[in-house]
Amino acid sequence: MIELGIFLTLFCLGFFVGSYAEKQHYKSIVEREQKFMHLVTTSSKRPVGDIGAVRKTHLVRGNAVISVDYFKRIIAGLRAIVGGNVSSYETLLDRSRREAILRLKESCPSASQIINLRIETSSVFKGAKDQTGSVEILAYGTAIYAEK
Amino acid sequence: MEYQPGLPEHNDNISHKHPLMEFALLLGGLSVVAFVVYLLLGLAVDLVAEHISPEQELQWFKRNSVDVIASSMLDHGGEAKRIDSALFQGLKQCLDVDYPLQLWLVKSEKVNALAVPGDDVFVYQGLVDAVQSENGLAFVLAHEIAHFQQRDHLKGIGRGLILASLMAVVGMGDAAALANPAAALSQAQYSQSRESSADAKALQALACHYGHVGGATELFDALLKQEGKFAEFGHYFATHPKTQARIEQIHTWAQSRGYGFKETNPLSTFDGI
Repeated sequence: MIELGIFLTLFCLGFFVGSYAEKQHYKSIVEREQKFMHLVTTSSKRPVGDIGAVRKTHLVRGNAVISVDYFKRIIAGLRAIVGGNVSSYETLLDRSRREAILRLKESCPSASQIINLRIETSSVFKGAKDQTGSVEILAYGTAIYAEK
Repeated sequence: MEYQPGLPEHNDNISHKHPLMEFALLLGGLSVVAFVVYLLLGLAVDLVAEHISPEQELQWFKRNSVDVIASSMLDHGGEAKRIDSALFQGLKQCLDVDYPLQLWLVKSEKVNALAVPGDDVFVYQGLVDAVQSENGLAFVLAHEIAHFQQRDHLKGIGRGLILASLMAVVGMGDAAALANPAAALSQAQYSQSRESSADAKALQALACHYGHVGGATELFDALLKQEGKFAEFGHYFATHPKTQARIEQIHTWAQSRGYGFKETNPLSTFDGI
């Protein structure tokens, strides 16, 4: 009885708070992506186009750690029984990747371009019974600054 | 080629279906499968339990159950013996249970009685104190003997094992939080139906032993006073039917079978010896 009560509370908390947080996060992501759209970011090893002489370059990185909520974890748990698309984790990874890239861009707003962008993923927290708790996404690349 | 910054109009990397929809589909589908499996295995257990002879049962479970309750709390002589010879044996005959059963008195204030696999029936002192008459105690004893007759204690263990195995499979991951209450619920519903059936048999034994069923609801009346306001919702998870419903059911049965409620024998018969 108590167990069910705790479960339902966590379940609703996870669903409502989790959905709200996700919505807000996506809103923020879209806004910031618009804002930093001008900053060319590619996985190419050379600058895109002719940017002339390069004044300086340095390593930039953006890091994001985001956790799933209880509701998503339950759905993923059920999904793990029958298999298929774990859609409840899709937004987790999508948000984390975009957030990491945004943080990377925000760390060097005056750069001309960011090249050689790489993204790495790892799960940083294993919950009870090895459940995925949260993911860490690391985006790193080289910021280059044109002479002029 | 010129670099043109832009953002995709549509996010194809995530699913746009409503998560609650997915949850309902998954839960519904899995529940149906789990229910069918549990139903089939449960029926198989019942079938097997019916075919376990009392001798076989004793061989498998003897003395395992006594360890459940500390031996210092158990009384097998004195009063237990008196109740055994004066009441228990007669009730067993009424229910056609011809194999030996051991009656134990447990020195505890708890109002409880148990039939456990093997051949042991435990009656708590608190229960003996809670009933007012010999007839009230007889109903409880008959109820526990009925569990043996119906092999409920074996079925209960079997079903418990099945549930535990199912849970081990389904419960991988956090889904256990969901599976646990569901399992408790189905177990409780099954148990309630067995309890009700044991009540009916106990009533029949009472009528056989005394010629009337006076005192049958004594324990439940006492419990009802203790319970007070028991949450309606909680009842679905209880292993026993609602006390009020049991009392009413007993009256309905008594009426339809023509059992009368006559004066009860005082419990002091046992203390006096």
